[in-house]
Amino acid sequence: MVDQSLSVPKYWRRIPQYYRLTALKCRKCGRVYFPPRAICDCGSREFDEVELPRRGRLIEFTVLRSVTSDFEKQRPLIFGIVDLNGVRVLGQLVDCPNPEKLSDNAEVEVVFRRVKEDSDYGIIYYGFKLRPLKGCW
Amino acid sequence: MGISALGYINGVHVIPPGRYYDKGYRELFAEAALKALESAGNPDIKAIYIASALSELTGEQLAIGNILRDYSGIRNAPSIRVENGDGSGGFAFMVALNHVASMNDGCVLLVGIDKPHEVTSLKQNKYASYLLDSDYESYFGATPVVLAALMAKQYLKNYEYKYEDLAAWAIKMHERGAKTPFAYFKRAAKLKDVLESELVADPLRLYDVSPFVDGAAALVLCSKPNTRDQAVGVLGYGFGASNSYFASRNDYTALMSVIEAVKAFNPLNDFNGIVSVHDTYSILGVLALESLGLCKRGSALRLLNEGYFDPGGKVMVNLDGGLKAVGNSMGASGVYQLASATMQLRGDKPFNGLNAEAAVVEDMVGVDQESVVFMLKVVK
Ligand SMILES: [Zn+2]
Repeated sequence: MVDQSLSVPKYWRRIPQYYRLTALKCRKCGRVYFPPRAICDCGSREFDEVELPRRGRLIEFTVLRSVTSDFEKQRPLIFGIVDLNGVRVLGQLVDCPNPEKLSDNAEVEVVFRRVKEDSDYGIIYYGFKLRPLKGCW
Repeated sequence: MGISALGYINGVHVIPPGRYYDKGYRELFAEAALKALESAGNPDIKAIYIASALSELTGEQLAIGNILRDYSGIRNAPSIRVENGDGSGGFAFMVALNHVASMNDGCVLLVGIDKPHEVTSLKQNKYASYLLDSDYESYFGATPVVLAALMAKQYLKNYEYKYEDLAAWAIKMHERGAKTPFAYFKRAAKLKDVLESELVADPLRLYDVSPFVDGAAALVLCSKPNTRDQAVGVLGYGFGASNSYFASRNDYTALMSVIEAVKAFNPLNDFNGIVSVHDTYSILGVLALESLGLCKRGSALRLLNEGYFDPGGKVMVNLDGGLKAVGNSMGASGVYQLASATMQLRGDKPFNGLNAEAAVVEDMVGVDQESVVFMLKVVK
């Protein structure tokens, strides 16, 4: 139980990023950071919270067949880099049974899904995933 | 002598990497440390630097220094453990080097040690995923091979290479490993073997991935050269870092941390000698050659296939077979590279007859997190 209560804050403190892709926008130069940072490359420390757009373009992807213990039941996993209006994020691609049919620059949308079940304690974790709009089958 | 070095590598020893089910951290440490000290003439040691990424994860041991020291009977020197993932070895060497450079006359011991085979491969993958950002990358199941695969796909596409061109890395590393006494893989591989090996993360196959191995490698680093041997000095080093969040990087076909690190030296485009790159994945070895400035962007794979980086040439890359053949001993891997480069410069068998005077050794943390690059030279 001690381990469980310790692992939960590590999860819930990141819920704004996991659920809503909450990023930080620099007040001085306008640069957007996901994940958030304490200081902008321009030197400013003043940011506003912004949510990243829900649609973007796929830049690159790969299919991972050798997964870690928390993801054994979900093998294989598809990972993609997606450009959400100039901010690039790494995420899992879902609803895509035939990834070889994915085209360059495919349009994707952000969806909310179960991410994993912890292999040691059975806690279920949630977060964003990326779904190709035109599917891939 | 003419050359002033930050420190001198006066003794080395490497344990052949493998799966040591019958030996723990302490046994491997003692074997590597005591033989390295012996080869340096058993000097007094001012500090013990331990490079390890996994000692608490797979060894379930914090404060491992005194356990290792006591077992090995090395007294009267503090132990300092350095953890920086699979780059621990290079970073520990950097700290040890600065320690030695601050002394008039003295030596320190550096041991790189890790035992990934204390746990199953699923657990090994999980621990390797800790090399990524645990909150924003590994949380979603990403591992280092995912990032390497994305880079490989972009590189092959941008520079119009086929996967067969990349397969040359594994083939050449296996060929070299077959002649290296301490390599983990000691057999040659054919193109067919590589092409038929299982996909890990496309385009990367099993042969593109360095195998996890248990290992320990040790160096004795001193402020003065050991006169009994042809001395190897460390002339300098450079450090560099890239964006920690992979997707936010501007360029997926270059290693920014290596480009930054190598700025510490004159441009390496005319470099002549030995090069050791941290090829945890084939593509990272290829990209390191370009990011070190040894050849133009996009040209490394062509040059590799043409034999430009083979033994006997101007730039001899991973003469021992690299991490691909020697194995990926995580926190120890950089110490293996440095020990091996020292043996290559000294002309120890089977590296005799190379007549190389300088070596560039590149160690990297994860997939382009941080890198450190060293320049080693024979001091006559
Ligand atoms: Zn700014």
